[in-house]
Amino acid sequence: MKIEWTKAAMGRRGFLKGATALGASAALPMGLANQAFASDDGVLRVRAYGDAQNMDPAHSVGVVEEEVHSSIYNKLIQYKPGREWDWQLDAASMIEQVDPTHIKFALRDDIGYTNGHGAMTAEDVKFSFERIIADATESPNKPDMGPLSHVDVTGEREGTIVLKEPFAPLWSIALPYITGNIVSKTATEAAGGRIGANPVAESGPYLRASWSPKEKTVLKRNPDWKGDAPEWDTIEILPIDDENTAEIAFEAGELDFTRVSLGSVARYRDGVPNGGKLLEYPSLYYTWLGMNLDHPKLQNQKLRQAIQHAIDVPTVLEAAYFGAVEPSTGIIAPGLAGNRAKSMVPPQANFEKAAALLAESGETNVTLTLDTLNKTTFTSAAQVIQATLAQIGITVEINVLESGAFWASGDNPDLQLVLNRFSMAPDSSYATAWFTSAQAGIWNWERFRSEEFDTLHAQASQEVDTAKRAQMYERAQDLMEESGAYRFLTHEATPVIHSSRVAPALRPDGLALLRYFGKA
Amino acid sequence: MLIFAIRRFGLAFLILFVAVTVMFLMIRAVPGDPVQIMLGPRATPELQARLTAELALDQPIWRQLVIFYGNLLQGDLGIDVFSGRAVTDIVFQQLPHTLWLIFSSIIWSAALGIGIGAYAAAHPNTLIDRITAAISVSFVAAPAFVVALLSLLIFAVNLKWFPAIGAGEGFWDRLNHLVLPAFAIGLSWVGYIARLVRASMLEVMGESHVRTARAFGINERRVVMVYALRIAILPVVTVIGVGMGFLLSSAVFAEIVFARPGLGKLVIDSITTRNYPIVMGSVLISTALFVVSTALADLVNAWLDPRARGSK
Repeated sequence: MKIEWTKAAMGRRGFLKGATALGASAALPMGLANQAFASDDGVLRVRAYGDAQNMDPAHSVGVVEEEVHSSIYNKLIQYKPGREWDWQLDAASMIEQVDPTHIKFALRDDIGYTNGHGAMTAEDVKFSFERIIADATESPNKPDMGPLSHVDVTGEREGTIVLKEPFAPLWSIALPYITGNIVSKTATEAAGGRIGANPVAESGPYLRASWSPKEKTVLKRNPDWKGDAPEWDTIEILPIDDENTAEIAFEAGELDFTRVSLGSVARYRDGVPNGGKLLEYPSLYYTWLGMNLDHPKLQNQKLRQAIQHAIDVPTVLEAAYFGAVEPSTGIIAPGLAGNRAKSMVPPQANFEKAAALLAESGETNVTLTLDTLNKTTFTSAAQVIQATLAQIGITVEINVLESGAFWASGDNPDLQLVLNRFSMAPDSSYATAWFTSAQAGIWNWERFRSEEFDTLHAQASQEVDTAKRAQMYERAQDLMEESGAYRFLTHEATPVIHSSRVAPALRPDGLALLRYFGKA
Repeated sequence: MLIFAIRRFGLAFLILFVAVTVMFLMIRAVPGDPVQIMLGPRATPELQARLTAELALDQPIWRQLVIFYGNLLQGDLGIDVFSGRAVTDIVFQQLPHTLWLIFSSIIWSAALGIGIGAYAAAHPNTLIDRITAAISVSFVAAPAFVVALLSLLIFAVNLKWFPAIGAGEGFWDRLNHLVLPAFAIGLSWVGYIARLVRASMLEVMGESHVRTARAFGINERRVVMVYALRIAILPVVTVIGVGMGFLLSSAVFAEIVFARPGLGKLVIDSITTRNYPIVMGSVLISTALFVVSTALADLVNAWLDPRARGSK
């Protein structure tokens, strides 16, 4: 055989030699130096489960972006770190509810915006709040502002928030959460009315120094901030979706603070590496098994009640959450108005009662589908439910769906049983809002319809007497449970770990309030 | 060679068109209303309607495809729904991270794999050959995600030699952050390339030009390194080209396990959120990467070995 080699500008030999040299250089050990481990470098490194992509509070999609917004913007009031839901003054030097629909406020005189946009004034407050409710803004967060009518500006730094009707969540959601962030009117208008991936003017104790998508958001101390000085010079927020990866990063010394998986709680109770600590907080999530009341197979209330009594909640929680969470009594978490002391159907299964109810229903050879997310927690829970329902003769087929398909199930008329989990902001109205008749087939997947429930939901939002409000929400959850469409499971939990050099500042549901993080 | 290159890139272009079209149709076949998923539960009907119109989701699928290619020809991949940034900016911001990971994996695994394979072929049926065979097969059999997790626990958590997460800043820091993920996804390629080179070399060692070289009394090391390895290495070039596709898929989990930015993570996140513009932008670029790399591998192969250019 004759091999003919053709000539080329770059020699083949050179090519192969170069490739080998590159390979050798790649194999050289490069570690052991210049590593950015969490150490005494004045940088606080925290994990977020997602990437904060939008700096406009009107278009914030939730907690991930709020962690950044609450550090670079100010609100009239902020959540107070601790175990009880409470608020404290932030940009407001005074705020007072003068009657059920009017809230007077005065701003501090020492807060200014970056990029030459001047001091924060009442006009900025008016602009920020009214743009949330303006149709032109198309803000998905508009419902948080409830019946806001407008803001009257009564002085350079004074004004009055005017509501169309009383609105209790104003103090628990509207002002201290996403919609409460006060942006600069002049800067936002100069940007065409919409803030994108980069802030146009900041006013908080931190400034967003840089953002590397999917990699890191860096906050630096605002040199012009005149309020209480934040303790950390720099905060790096690392988007890490996977909790196991975050745990490894923490143990490698590269994170100071992260939420951990419920499956790791037992291990961290025995000790957190590097002198860290485990903190266990309740969560606002609520998880339940729902039954589609419109489905022909689930028309029989006795059958639904049999299913309620046949599900052993403690066993489900042990299998799916490793016993790290408590059973819930409804959709409203402990610490919020309307959290029930106990549910009508006890958490423990009562198979005799369930079998009797099934016999009363007259249904035989019952076969149902159970839709669930493709997460281990939910598939484990679904399998336990499948096993326990089998004990009374109900056959369950589990449909495991990826998140996109699962969250589009609202209008699926074939939906039968569904294992569901919603998040909420810290006000009870946020939970009941999804179960009204108007939401049937949208986010009310059970198609639960109750005029009394709808009325209670509407009235409770306007009720400023906390005790009366609590009674309304308790009754609303009674109605849900009486329908037989719900078997409440848990509010889950928020276990977090932090390094020995950090004094975390957390909301009562364990979420970080980064601007208040201290040094241990 | 030029005609071969034109033919090869023409085929690559056709493959790219078919693959992207199939992906376009597949992503639209996935259940779930993309607008509802993208905007979340509290989006107003007006906003949902506007986004539906913006993304042309109210149009027949064939028209959506025509619009997509029309925009693509103008270099417009659309706007990200969440951040309002151009998709091209987002994709090209993530691409270098994935390329770094893939190329560093290829380079170290090829360098080591070729070395092991050549050494084993030069000492056939010896103890060394058997040991390298066992090691190579072990490498091939080691699941990359297990290697990733074990290397994290050993080298990042226990020994603290290398960082566990992120991509780093600056050249050396970025290299430092590449070591563990590149090790994890390149290890099985070491074994694969070693076996390939060994088999190829043993075949070449029996050919006439090698026998002639030996008959001339040329040093055995030179015979192996120059006369045998240079030809035996040709299949590796092709395999590396095809391997780009496998490494791209490996990069997805590496980017998740090591919390690295990159194209793979971008694709996963955007599919989950039904962010169609980002999905199509990422798929287009990653498919192009794969198609171009296989075409380049063929060209390099043809350049190194004229027999590979085929009949004219």
